[in-house]
Amino acid sequence: MVDPQEVQRCLEAAFPGARILVANPAGDGEHLEVQVVSPAFTGRGLVDQHRMVYAALGDLMPRIHALQLRTEAQVEGAR
Amino acid sequence: MNDVLADIEKEVKENPVVIYMKGTPRFPMCGFSAATVEVLNEVGVPFKAVDILTEADKREGVKAYTNWPTIPQVFVGGQFVGGCDIVRELHAKGELAPMIRNAADRR
Repeated sequence: MVDPQEVQRCLEAAFPGARILVANPAGDGEHLEVQVVSPAFTGRGLVDQHRMVYAALGDLMPRIHALQLRTEAQVEGAR
Repeated sequence: MNDVLADIEKEVKENPVVIYMKGTPRFPMCGFSAATVEVLNEVGVPFKAVDILTEADKREGVKAYTNWPTIPQVFVGGQFVGGCDIVRELHAKGELAPMIRNAADRR
């Protein structure tokens, strides 16, 4: 189990300037839905993008039972 | 561990589409595995399913092979494609079916 805000802070630190959404729809801190839109993903495939998020989550990963992840490369200059 | 990695390599190279999952396509034991099988069924090309709950050494084996922390994992044409979210996204974009048909045709 994790505190979704901890996940949010961890991803904000790893992906500065990214749009990050962390949802905890079941309210259990076990089933999280995470979306990261970051310029850091530009030019990388989805597998690489997801790997970057998993790496950023580090020790938090094993504490999340189920993580639904969506990543997107942010277009330069777009908000 | 080396034997398992060699087994996995052989498995993914010899079959056009392979899914490492929890449970079987008929009786998936996890929502993500179930959702991924559903996508593969929609594409309609036969695939090989490996139940990592039965073949327990492959559970950590496949994670080490791909450096990917979660199950299910899908391989097409010997290449790791992703887990549930990526497979669903590729299918929604219409990219998964051509990828799978290509791999199946190369046999």
